[in-house]
Amino acid sequence: MNLLEIEDLFVEADGKELLRNVNLIIPEGEVHALLGQNGSGKTSLMMTIMGFSGYDITRGRIRFKGQDISDLSITQRAKLGIGISQQRPPTIQGVTLRNVLEHANKRSKLSFNIMELAREAQMQCFLDRNIHEGLSGGEIKRSELLQLLVTSPIFSMMDEPDSGLDVEALSIVGGLIHRLFSMDERCPAQQKTGLIITHSCNILKHLPVDKAHIMHKGVIGCSGNPTIILDILAASGYEACIRCMETREGV
Amino acid sequence: MEEKNKANENRSRVRDFAQDSVTQKDDHIKRIDNERFKKSEIAALAASGILLGSEKRAATIVVCDHQLICPLYELDGFEMLPISDALIRYSWFRERYFFNAIPSDLNDIVANCANEKNPLGFFIRVHQGAKVEMPCQAAMYMTKNHISQIVHNIVVLEEGSELKLISGCLNHPRVINGLHLALEEHYIGKNARLVSTMVHTWSGEMRVYPHSGTIVEGGGQFESNYISFSPAEHIVSNPQTWLNGKGASAKYTTAIIAIPGSKIETDGTVYLNAENTSAELSHRGVCTGGIMHQGGLLIGAAPCKAHVDCAGMLLDSGGKGIIESVPGLCSRHADARMSHEASIGKISPDQVEYLMSRGMEEHEAVSMLIRGFLGADIKGLGDELDARIEEMIEIAGHGC
Repeated sequence: MNLLEIEDLFVEADGKELLRNVNLIIPEGEVHALLGQNGSGKTSLMMTIMGFSGYDITRGRIRFKGQDISDLSITQRAKLGIGISQQRPPTIQGVTLRNVLEHANKRSKLSFNIMELAREAQMQCFLDRNIHEGLSGGEIKRSELLQLLVTSPIFSMMDEPDSGLDVEALSIVGGLIHRLFSMDERCPAQQKTGLIITHSCNILKHLPVDKAHIMHKGVIGCSGNPTIILDILAASGYEACIRCMETREGV
Repeated sequence: MEEKNKANENRSRVRDFAQDSVTQKDDHIKRIDNERFKKSEIAALAASGILLGSEKRAATIVVCDHQLICPLYELDGFEMLPISDALIRYSWFRERYFFNAIPSDLNDIVANCANEKNPLGFFIRVHQGAKVEMPCQAAMYMTKNHISQIVHNIVVLEEGSELKLISGCLNHPRVINGLHLALEEHYIGKNARLVSTMVHTWSGEMRVYPHSGTIVEGGGQFESNYISFSPAEHIVSNPQTWLNGKGASAKYTTAIIAIPGSKIETDGTVYLNAENTSAELSHRGVCTGGIMHQGGLLIGAAPCKAHVDCAGMLLDSGGKGIIESVPGLCSRHADARMSHEASIGKISPDQVEYLMSRGMEEHEAVSMLIRGFLGADIKGLGDELDARIEEMIEIAGHGC
C-alpha cells in the first residue's frame, strides 16, 4: 500500500514557483532519501506535505493513506500520522521542550518516559529551557527528533538531521533515528515510513533507505537505487546528476 | 489635561465610596468557619489561591466586605492579628509601622484611613530568624454591591525571617459595582525574605486601587508576583519600594490579561538607595480588547543593578485594544547600572504552526503560547487556580 502519493504537484510562495510537476510515491514501510543542492526545493516539499502556510498548491494533490490531504490543517495532518523534524525550528519564549513533550505524550498511546528518552538524546538539561533557545545545531536536531519520537508518527520527515554534526553527535542522532524507524509497536513486523532530506548523506550510513530521489530546481529529476545514486554522488558530485537530468528531462 | 481631569474624577469617586465604608463598617471578628461560606464561594476563593481549611496553608485571614475574619495566630515566631488589635497591643506599632511605607496624605481616602480609630485589616509579624514554611493566605472578598472595601495591612519580617504570603482578591458574581482599595505596607528586615503573590479575580464594574509600600533593609529580599487574569473595570497599581540597605533586592513580576471594557494600569517604582541593591520589574500583559498600561520606574541613587521589562501581546481583532508600555530609568549615581526594554507584538503564526505540527489544535497551541508569554506556569497555588488560569488563557486565545 502506498502511504504517500504526490501527483503533479506545483507549489508557489509569494508568486514564486518553488515546486513543479513533483511526483513521489512512498509505500508503507519504506524510507526514502531526498537529495539535492541547497535551494533545490527539498525543504519546500516537506513543508508543503506538512501543510505549513506560505506554500500554496497551485496544481496537483497530496494523498496520505489514500486520502487527499491538500486542504487539511497542519493539526489534522499530524493526527493522521505525519511528523516533521525541521532544520530551523522557531525559538518560543516561555514554552519549554518539556511542555511540548508532555502535551504530545498525553495524546500518545505509547506513554513514554520523558526523562528516560531525554537522557537517551542527551537533552535532559534542556527540558525546562525555552524551546530551542541558545541551542547548538546538533542540540536542535536532537530536540526535534525527541519530539518526533514522542509524537510517534506513521510517516516521519526529517530535514537534514545530519548536517554540521561531529562523529559523536552523529552517532546520537543516528541512534534516535534508528529507534524512530526500527519498530512500530502497533505493527512490530513493519518498519515505519519516512522521508529524509539530506545533501551530505552521512546519516544514510546509520539508516538503510529503500530509494533515493534527486531534486533540482523544484523538480524530482531522478529516482532509484540509493546505493548507486550515492556512489555516483560520491564520485562526481551533483554536477553529473544535474547534467544527466537536464539532458533526459529538459529541466 | 484630560488625564488630570480623569484622575480627579476617579479621586472624587473614591471619596464617595470612602463615606460608605465608614458607615457600613462592621468590626466584629469571628473565627474562620468553612460552614460560613457556600460551596460555590469556597470554590471561588480557591480559584483565587485561597484554600480554606487546607493543610497547605500556615494561616488564613478573610476580609469579607467590612468584616475581618482573623483568628489570632501566635505560633513559632509568627503572629497574625487584626490591625486594630495590634494598635492596642503594641505601644511601638503605630510609630514604627503605621503609615511609614505609605504616606498618610497620599490622597483623601488614605488620609481617612490613617485617621480611622478602628481600621480594617491585619498585621503579620514574623519574628527574628523565624521561617514560616507554608504560605500564609489572605482573602479580600466582596459580596455586596455599591460598597467600598478599604483594607490596611501591615507585614513585618524581622531580621533573617522568611514568609510567603498569598493574597486573593475577588468579588461574588452578584456584585457588579464596588470599590476595593488595599493599603499594604511591608517592612523587610536585614536578610529577611518575603514572597508575596497576589491573585485578582474581579468581574463587572469593580474598581480596584491597591497601594503598596515596601521598605527593605540590608540583604533583604522582596519578591512580588501579581496575577490578574479576570480583571476589574479599572485597576491602578503602583507599588513603591525602597531598597535602603546594602544588598537589598526586589523582584516584581506581573501577569495580566485585559479584556474588552477593562482598563489596567500597572506601574511600580523602586528606589535603589544603597550599595549593591538590585531590582527587576517584569510586566507581561495580554490585551484582548481593553486598555493596558505597563510602566515601571527605577531610581538609582547608589551603585546598583536594575532592569525593567514591559512586554505586551495584543490579541484584539476588533481594533479597540490598546497597550501602552512606558518603562523608565532615573539615575542619581554614576555607578548605577540600569536598563529597560519594552516590546509589543502579536502571536507569531510560525510558532502556532510549529506547535500544530506536534499535533496540537490551533487553540491549544495559542493557549500554550499565551501561557508561556505570561509566565503563567505558577505552581503551588492550588488546582483550582491552575484550572482558572487555564480557563482565562483559553478565553484570551479565542480573541486572536
